[in-house]
Amino acid sequence: MNQAITTSRHPYPLLRRFLIDVAITQVFNFIIALLLTFVVRLHSTFVVNLVVSVCIGTLAVTFIDGGRLLIWGDRRPPRLPFILLMLVSAPAAHYFGTLLASPLLGIPVESLDAARGRNATAMLIGTTLSFVFIIWFFWNRANLAQLAAEAEAEKARAAAIERQAMQAQLQMLQAQIEPHMLFNTLANLQGLIAADPPRAQHMLDQLIQYLRATLSSSRADKTSLAHEFSLMDAYLGLMKVRMGSRLAYRLDLPDALVNEMVPPMLMQPLVENAIKHGLEPKIDGGAITIRAERDGSTLRLTVVDTGLGLNGGKDSAPHDGSSVHVGLSNICERLQALYGERATLTLQPNTPSGVIAQLTIPL
Amino acid sequence: MKQIRALIAEDEPILAYTLLQMLQRLWPDLHVAGVVENGIAAVTEALAQRPDVLFLDIKMPGKTGLEAAQELAEEWPDDAPFPLIVFVTAYDEYAVQAFEHAAADYVVKPTSDARFAKTVERLKARLEQHTEHDAELQRIVDQLRTLVPGVPQASSAGERLTIIRAGIGNQVRMIPVADVHYLEATDKYVNVVTADGEALIRTSLKELLPQLDGSQFWQIHRGTVVNIAYVEAAVRDDTGKLSLKLRGRERMLPVSRVYAHLFRQM
Repeated sequence: MNQAITTSRHPYPLLRRFLIDVAITQVFNFIIALLLTFVVRLHSTFVVNLVVSVCIGTLAVTFIDGGRLLIWGDRRPPRLPFILLMLVSAPAAHYFGTLLASPLLGIPVESLDAARGRNATAMLIGTTLSFVFIIWFFWNRANLAQLAAEAEAEKARAAAIERQAMQAQLQMLQAQIEPHMLFNTLANLQGLIAADPPRAQHMLDQLIQYLRATLSSSRADKTSLAHEFSLMDAYLGLMKVRMGSRLAYRLDLPDALVNEMVPPMLMQPLVENAIKHGLEPKIDGGAITIRAERDGSTLRLTVVDTGLGLNGGKDSAPHDGSSVHVGLSNICERLQALYGERATLTLQPNTPSGVIAQLTIPL
Repeated sequence: MKQIRALIAEDEPILAYTLLQMLQRLWPDLHVAGVVENGIAAVTEALAQRPDVLFLDIKMPGKTGLEAAQELAEEWPDDAPFPLIVFVTAYDEYAVQAFEHAAADYVVKPTSDARFAKTVERLKARLEQHTEHDAELQRIVDQLRTLVPGVPQASSAGERLTIIRAGIGNQVRMIPVADVHYLEATDKYVNVVTADGEALIRTSLKELLPQLDGSQFWQIHRGTVVNIAYVEAAVRDDTGKLSLKLRGRERMLPVSRVYAHLFRQM
């Protein structure tokens, strides 16, 4: 997983790492040349020391770092083989580096060695210390990269879990059955059982269908439009019994879209809002129309009501306005998480009164 | 003995019918004088029919049961006994707790015959006590004070209104809130009354109230809010009606029963 994340950022991540390490090494080479010239006081000029340092240092980083990346990749190298690699690389880099510097500077290898020989002890300590320091630096760098990659992966995992939890919670919220709605429906049933048993039977069927659909929706990821429409049909059927002549409704689902899969409970809150804030508080009641249409590669879902309208509900009860808002922002968050910018939710005033709520999602 | 009359206000037809059936079963002597389907009709019908018992659904279009009860308490004539009000509500824990707290009569739907029979017994007992006609009114006024939630106050100074912008002709007059003597709701407008005159604004009193400083602006009637700084005295007339005398103003502002307690002497 770590590698997958690193790979996605750069076409040749290991090569990139290596080149960065080589670049950093040049800084060390420069510092070492300075130290050799002005602190250790070798009997050679700064330019000579710098060229020799660059040659040895670059070879060292090629052997050690290149070897590490080739053998172990981006993973943390096992300690013992890595130390072994360093022990072989260090003298090799020293030997071949000097060999390389000599023709570049036009100075025979023996003279280069002679210049150093005069201060052999200081030279040995200096070289060893630089190696130890550089190796310590790269070892830490490898560890840091490893830790950073791990932290990033952990963060990505946590974000994914959080996103999933939020999705589930939003879906559950929307699939909630309001106790007020349930008990009002039961009260209606209670009255109908004695007065009109066949109608009571029909209402009970609708209640069962509504409860079953609502409860199963809270678990499913996707559902067919036919299922969504049958849920809304059952809900509106119940409301029709309760509101009587105050409510008229129509559902319009073209045959071609019946099997289209959509996230569950996306339209239901819009329908419930239309009833709760638009039609129920309106003295004369009104009508609600629900439509699904295909528009190219987009699915357009529309809920139109002739109720009190966007401000009507707010006027009669200020706290109801905010609950509309919560329901809608839940839908928005779900759409955002599922489709990003490719889905929209719009609310417009209907004429002469009411609301047109429209959802578009990609097919 | 005079026949007991009832009025039912319930917007769902089957529930109204169910309640009617239950009453016929458990209280055959009761005459149900009418069934209305919204809060506005509930107020007009109750004032016209003057029933002895009034069943008020809480959630109705037009006006809630509580709003209807409050309006009835303000508008009820002095020469008739105030009806016994029974609130009807679907399951709603908050509402039920509120009713318990206010010691109000209530029915939770769906209800059983056994439970409803107890409500009927209690109503019958209260009707037979022949209490003074003011007592029932006082009872409901006290209950409403507990039941009707107070006006939410603007939490920060930023949400509080300092200037009222009133359109007069082709200009917008800027009226400092502190200069307002009182606000009076008309049909869809609010009349803003100052020392200089009056101006109509197209905002409802309900929208305006939360933006005002509650310690400065007191509601004294369903449709009247007064700036207490301009009130000189509260005066009770021979019939016991309370009204406010404002500084430098002839017209007295009536205080409804629901808010009369605000002007009791210390």
